[in-house]
Amino acid sequence: MNTAIRVEALKLVRSPVGTIGTIALVAGTLALLGGITATLAGGNPELTAKVGTAATLNWNGLLASAAQITAAGGLLGLGIVLSWMFGREFTDGTITGLFALPVSRSRIALAKLAVYAVWAIVVSLALTLGILALGLLLGYGIPTVDGWASLGRQGALTLLTAAIAIPVAWIATATRSLLAAVGGAIALVVIAQVSALAGAEGWMPLAAPALWTMSAGAAVNPAQLSLAALFGIAFAALTTASWARLQLNR
Amino acid sequence: MLEFDNVGLRFRSGVGVDNLTLRVGPGEVVALIGLNGAGKTTLMRLALRMLRPQRGTIRLFDQPLEAAPASSWAGVGALIEVPLAYPELTVRENLRISCMLHGTSPEQVDHSLDAWRLASVADRRFRRLSLGNRQRVGLASALQHDPRLIVLDEPSNALDPASVILLRDQLTRRAQDGAAVLVSSHHLDEVARIADRVLLMNAGRLIGELDTTGNDLERAFFERIREDDERHPVDGELAR
Repeated sequence: MNTAIRVEALKLVRSPVGTIGTIALVAGTLALLGGITATLAGGNPELTAKVGTAATLNWNGLLASAAQITAAGGLLGLGIVLSWMFGREFTDGTITGLFALPVSRSRIALAKLAVYAVWAIVVSLALTLGILALGLLLGYGIPTVDGWASLGRQGALTLLTAAIAIPVAWIATATRSLLAAVGGAIALVVIAQVSALAGAEGWMPLAAPALWTMSAGAAVNPAQLSLAALFGIAFAALTTASWARLQLNR
Repeated sequence: MLEFDNVGLRFRSGVGVDNLTLRVGPGEVVALIGLNGAGKTTLMRLALRMLRPQRGTIRLFDQPLEAAPASSWAGVGALIEVPLAYPELTVRENLRISCMLHGTSPEQVDHSLDAWRLASVADRRFRRLSLGNRQRVGLASALQHDPRLIVLDEPSNALDPASVILLRDQLTRRAQDGAAVLVSSHHLDEVARIADRVLLMNAGRLIGELDTTGNDLERAFFERIREDDERHPVDGELAR
């Protein structure tokens, strides 16, 4: 298992997809937050109306904006990187080299998911620390107890968003297509956003993490939040099983 | 080392392979020749568990393939269509991960770079290599762990004449050391030089051996294919 993890980690670290994905998720989110803050500070009434609860120039506003960006853009970014990790083996044709090895394909799939999980933790930490630095830079002062809790929820939101993106790994495997998996990532974002707008509550796994973060934990209970994590774990298991049974018959 | 007993597989499209029976023993080089779509790659994919047969039995190292432990694949080296190499990694890194995945020491890499004359491009990314160099990386990756069974699908593709000789020397030496080699090719002359047996494949079936001692191999090959097509006119599109 260690062998497969080392191989998959090397592939992600050396790939432009991994580098650009990390920069987009961390620096891109921080740049957007900076831009939103600057526009709000300039008194733009349209943006103030659009961002709703995020329209305040304090920790609450900053973290509400961060949660909205992570729920949509973060899900897309995490989903695209995961789509590439699985789909590229089919698109590049390297999947043939992953047969006839003493390392089973289910272990290779698990290794991919493990590397993805570690990468998501790194992105989550970098983004959370980046938001903390941005808030301090904007003069919001040391966060209060509630502010630290909100920052913690932002970190957890990135991790839970990584979990609900895992279906794209299964889509890449089932369709043998990177593009189909990227399409799946877009579909996840659309489903999550539409279901949130339609009033979905905590039992909708794709919407629960963002609802939990934006309501400061009030709108989603721990069981509902666990369901989002279980949703990701279920698709991880499905993907691993699909890799174990994989045949190159199409 | 590798045995097929009456193996068959039909794809949803209706094409496939049927009644495949063959044996590749230690120290033996067996070549598969046939027209495009005859089923050579499908046979090799079956041998490597990329496809599962609907009929018959495949044995690897005297064990049914479905019961073979994962560790037994450490004794197999294969190159089917695309090398186990990633464009973002250098040649050296690719050979290193191949060693790791095949369960052998990465110390083999330097030897492999020398053996396949890849030292000058060792630190170049795979995506920047010529087709011929990519093929040599694939062959190095497939063989550097000294497999007991070697399965190569058209390994001389894109190779220059010097590399073809290198490949021939590698396969001959490994067979002399006891490895079983199954190789497919379109190059009849090349196959005749290295193979102990040349198996003809047509329309998804193995139709016998080709005598490589004759003067005109191409004529003999096409004659056998024509005779088989006349005997099995409806099966002309059986294989993929």
